[in-house]
Amino acid sequence: MSDNKSFLRNVIGEYMTHLGDVNEKVVVVNADLSGTCRNKDFVNKYPRRSFNTGIAEQNMVSFGAGLACEGFIPYVFSMAPFLTMRACEQCRTDVAYGSRNVRMIGVYAGVSGGISGATHWAIEDCGIMTSIPNIAVFEVSDANQTKRLLDYSLEYDGPIYIRCTVEPTLNIYPETVSIKKSGSHTIIDGDDGAFLCSGVTVQYAIEASKLISEETGKKIRVVDMYSIKPVDREAVISASKTGHVIVAQDHNVYGGLGSIVATIVAEEGLTTKMKILGIKDNFVAMAHAGYLYHQFGIDGEGLRNSMLEMLK
Amino acid sequence: MKSVKELEKAALEIRINLLRLCNKEVIHIGGDLSITDVMTVLWQYQMKYNPLNLQDENRDRFILSKGHASAVTCFNQAAIGCFSAEDVIREYATDEGRFSMHSCNLVNPYVEVSTGSLGHGMPVACGIAAGLRLKGNTTSRVYTVMGDGEQSEGSIWEAIINASHYRLGNLVAIVDFNGLEADGTINEVTGLGDIANKYRAFDWNVIEIDGNNISEIKEAFDSLPQPDSEYPTVIIAHTIKGKGVDFMENQVRWHAGKISDEQLKESIEKLQAEYERRWS
Repeated sequence: MSDNKSFLRNVIGEYMTHLGDVNEKVVVVNADLSGTCRNKDFVNKYPRRSFNTGIAEQNMVSFGAGLACEGFIPYVFSMAPFLTMRACEQCRTDVAYGSRNVRMIGVYAGVSGGISGATHWAIEDCGIMTSIPNIAVFEVSDANQTKRLLDYSLEYDGPIYIRCTVEPTLNIYPETVSIKKSGSHTIIDGDDGAFLCSGVTVQYAIEASKLISEETGKKIRVVDMYSIKPVDREAVISASKTGHVIVAQDHNVYGGLGSIVATIVAEEGLTTKMKILGIKDNFVAMAHAGYLYHQFGIDGEGLRNSMLEMLK
Repeated sequence: MKSVKELEKAALEIRINLLRLCNKEVIHIGGDLSITDVMTVLWQYQMKYNPLNLQDENRDRFILSKGHASAVTCFNQAAIGCFSAEDVIREYATDEGRFSMHSCNLVNPYVEVSTGSLGHGMPVACGIAAGLRLKGNTTSRVYTVMGDGEQSEGSIWEAIINASHYRLGNLVAIVDFNGLEADGTINEVTGLGDIANKYRAFDWNVIEIDGNNISEIKEAFDSLPQPDSEYPTVIIAHTIKGKGVDFMENQVRWHAGKISDEQLKESIEKLQAEYERRWS
């Protein structure tokens, strides 16, 4: 691992100890994946505030909802597909309906599970969780951003879902990066086009924007749409004014960031060229994430090519 | 503390209110009537619950896992002063009312957790029980009422394992074992087998009672282990679906329904006569 990259699931898992230090209401609920979710330090430091339901994601979420009923702030951890699909109704009925302060942390976002295959991929989780009322949905792209989001999660009132890749991601932000509801971060400014991304694709958009700038001199904006819901509407409107918008997310093209952005573009009556990149609504065989991102055209090269094509 | 006679009178009043409501709206009358006696003793004798102090940390918590028994819950809440029985009858299933087919805490603040979809209440109750323990609360109990058909839900068994693993002796689960579910008898549809021994095998404290016998119910609650004990308790309440209304008893088709004015009048007369016969 080079110094300029981080594993965000490690950041989340390890930062839980800090959250536990500063707020005694913080509790952790695992479903036999405390190692995978990297929160064993919390479990060891705060054994009484740690629960493990065994391989029972539905019970993990309901149990978390119960702890929230008693005033605790439960962080429930699993792989995103198990959390959002196996325990979907628990997330919806026990957490969201009652507006419980449960923080649902899903690692293995998108196809970042790679060679584990589709059983361990979450290419539907954004669609599922954003379609449930009351849940704030975030996707993290950077280590400092992740820590600040976790700080924010201590104060936020209501359920939160955080999707987190297990691929290494570029260190982008300073420690002081700010997080807010409906927030986004413009990492590179530019008016010739815009990449709207979240999670692992943010770093690839940065790469693509730099390549395009070097090759053509055109300035392509890169916006990290870390708040998937509620989304930063103004950022979408502003990006549309460049006339060239590419939305890229490690998610099925349906139901993810692209669908949300497209809805805003349509509702606002904006006129722009637009492309939504991600998993093209099909199941593919297991492979390393990097290979898959290349196939889907959401790596640096793919994003560059799509934008240059659009700019023609 | 209410006596057995007073509790039987209270249960009679709950049944009369249920029938009055059932004359107005379709309700899950079969399962309401089967659990009426248990719910009456629970709400009007057993539970520490003050409707004037909902935030009382020392209150007992109640989670209706079989969320469709909302009517019998509302009428018991009314009986302890949360609102009036007339409020329930007037507002039930109205567009801006507080009461409907399933328990909802968005409109009824005396509902701790909204339920309706089966297999949710019990696992949430486990989390609440664990939360109470973590707060050092050694006196409150968490009561949850489940259906017998609901035992088919896998999440119930996840919670059963979990409750004994975390030694949640402050959890009291009640199974309304009326032997019928929506599609037929439990034996035909689910084949639940010896449910009491299944709970025992999962390290639960098991109490089996006639769930339509107020004395037995009261005794079961009186004999509960202390909330700081180590084993969760399940009360298997053997009941009769539609209990107290002869044409509904043990009838699958009376899972939910509505009754005529004549049926209402006759049923109430019979219930009152039975009470008089027992206590005059």
